[in-house]
Amino acid sequence: MTTTAPTALSAPSTEPRTERLAITREGGRMIADYWEDLFVARESGRKIIWYNGGALNPMFQAAGLAWCHGEAFAARLAAQRLEGPAQLAGAEYGYNAELCSYSRTHLGCAVLTLKGSEEPDSGVVGLHDRADLASKLPAPDLFVNNYAGCSTGQQWDEVSYRVFGKNVPIFNVSHPFLWGNRPDAGYLVGSEWDEASRYVRDQLVELIDFLEVQTGRPFDYDALSESMTYIKRAGELRREGLDLCKATPAPATFWDWISCIAPINFLPGNQALVDYFQNVKDEIQQRIDAGVSGVRGEKYRLYFDGIMNWNKLGFLSRKFAEHGAAVLAGRYIQNAFWQEPHLIDTSDPLLGMAQHYLLCPTNHGSKTLEHLTLRDCESYGIDGIVFHSTRTCRAFTGPQRLLAKSARDNLGIPSIFFEGDVADASFYKEEILDSRLVAMLEAIDVARERGDHRRAGHGAEVAWPT
Amino acid sequence: MTGGRYLGVDLGSTTAKAVVVDGAGKILSSSVVTMGAVSRAGMQRAIDQALGEAGLTESDLQGTVSTGYGRRLVPGAGRTYTEITCHARGTAEMVPGVRLVIDVGGQDSKAITVGDDGLVRDFAMNDRCASGTGRFYEVLARAVDVPIEGLGDLALRGSDELEVSSMCATFAETEIVSMLAEDQDVADIASSVHRAIAARTLALVAQVGRYTPVVLTGGVARNPAAVHFLSRALDAEVTVPAHPQITGAFGAALLARDGDRGRPVATDVRGADEMFPRPRGHAHDGHDCSGCDGTLGPGTVDLGTVIPAWR
Repeated sequence: MTTTAPTALSAPSTEPRTERLAITREGGRMIADYWEDLFVARESGRKIIWYNGGALNPMFQAAGLAWCHGEAFAARLAAQRLEGPAQLAGAEYGYNAELCSYSRTHLGCAVLTLKGSEEPDSGVVGLHDRADLASKLPAPDLFVNNYAGCSTGQQWDEVSYRVFGKNVPIFNVSHPFLWGNRPDAGYLVGSEWDEASRYVRDQLVELIDFLEVQTGRPFDYDALSESMTYIKRAGELRREGLDLCKATPAPATFWDWISCIAPINFLPGNQALVDYFQNVKDEIQQRIDAGVSGVRGEKYRLYFDGIMNWNKLGFLSRKFAEHGAAVLAGRYIQNAFWQEPHLIDTSDPLLGMAQHYLLCPTNHGSKTLEHLTLRDCESYGIDGIVFHSTRTCRAFTGPQRLLAKSARDNLGIPSIFFEGDVADASFYKEEILDSRLVAMLEAIDVARERGDHRRAGHGAEVAWPT
Repeated sequence: MTGGRYLGVDLGSTTAKAVVVDGAGKILSSSVVTMGAVSRAGMQRAIDQALGEAGLTESDLQGTVSTGYGRRLVPGAGRTYTEITCHARGTAEMVPGVRLVIDVGGQDSKAITVGDDGLVRDFAMNDRCASGTGRFYEVLARAVDVPIEGLGDLALRGSDELEVSSMCATFAETEIVSMLAEDQDVADIASSVHRAIAARTLALVAQVGRYTPVVLTGGVARNPAAVHFLSRALDAEVTVPAHPQITGAFGAALLARDGDRGRPVATDVRGADEMFPRPRGHAHDGHDCSGCDGTLGPGTVDLGTVIPAWR
């Protein structure tokens, strides 16, 4: 038998191989300031709204409210490995460990907020330090739910409403799932898209009525337009920065963009937000000009499908880089967070906002997901896909096997799966990812040496699946 | 015998395996050492045994490659590869023409599709627990109180019609204990669990495609009931190399040899033929297997048939 010895990966490099964008540290400071401001919002006379799902913050900003995005706070706790007290409080309250760990963590925060004032010494809740970040959320004055494509997400704020004794006003925005099955269906086109867009837009008009009643003030449409003007520009800069990362080697990675989620997802629409994304784009352009890559010695270009494992952000970025693997794109980055800014008409932004809420990456049928995944694999020249099988997020993981098969059949690129979670580190197993990642990279090496590895991105047009 | 001596070490979760080959890929010696867990001492014993049997010392080696969970613990290994690459390489050498390798080790199971050149095309692994792995069989053996070596024979004597729901190694033990409490026959329990594990393995195969010929490797391949039920689940013959536990270490040794030469070389398979006289096969052709005595005879191989399971 004749064989080729694949290029051995041997032990991963012990030298740091990641070059994270320096500007993301500034983003971290902006986020920390935002949360500190929220913690004292009541003292400054502002009403506080808790919400989940699509980025409604421009409406809250225009209404003069302080806003708390539940998922974002759970992600922040997990990223800082401070989720423990909230999850224990949630467990004691009765939430099962298989429940979405975002919602479990945030509901635990609700319990801590409530018990902290009512029953400070009870149960497990009483064991934690009141100064813990998890217990700092101010109680809500309003709830709004704006979740698309996830049945847990759609009930999340309803459950928080019950934790707080059904005494806090709540408004639910309903989102149709975008099946993409009608004959005229396609990405951002077709009768289903048009009808769903108008349906959600009409609810946003009703939400404005709700906010006017709750705040006792007329809604400031000019303030909304102004806020959305900044957000649209930030979204455009973000997209331009993402496009720059198609270069080989890539100047920045998926992990840098993960660090940029919080600013685009819930920071106020203002000049500081635009400046931040201008600086992100500028740093990336400077890297291209200087020949600096996000992963030194980039050897493989990977796509990451799955919602983020926030406990492991730094760890994962280093792990992939150790093998020369630059993770460049993913459903959570390319297909979420004001990703289609051209849809926003800043003079009348409600329709474009509604459309972005519908574009949640868990709210598409498999045809659209397949189209978007293959498109991004092609445009970033991807060698293989890593699927983060997110244990408590079935909305995200449901179609992953279909996507893996489609990538293999249509682009000839391999995939691996590993299990983890958004905010519960106990579901992650190091050896599972390690052995599968290295095996996939070895398989790519073998295919390269044998001359039949096809890196995606050679100009193939990704058509709408039939 | 061709010049050059190469060592392959497979440090798995429960066993350490070592194989020494010469420059033609002929196996000079091999060893399998059972450990309680990944152990440097066990690994060293396996290396010492293999080198001793070949009349060599470490200084005689031209290259060493390690694989398995503990691959980075192996001293002197110039390179490491994953078990995926090594099992494919070793198995393809032992059973030329193989297209699907199913390896069931101590704590994971893998389905690997192999190209004409004996290298990996695609693979899938159990993703979160010990279901369908060697550990699962150990749990079963303990629960029904038979030595692991006798588990397969016991299962082949039973009926496989009991419902086995849990594929979690821990909770399956509870389920087995419940069946024992209901006075179910231990052979029926063992048989039913083997059937359930084979169904789980089929789900793994579905991720890469049901290609033939199929070879089962790893310690579990020594269990005739595991082979029988897997063959039935796949509706295909399943071949077992004579020494299925050392395919990974053999593959590692071959990769050490390949790497030293720098370019692909034709392997002298006579060494493998001597070491592994004739692969055993077990065919399933759709007939009723309930009367099978578990005797595994050589079967025919259907070279090159490709049956993607998802189509």
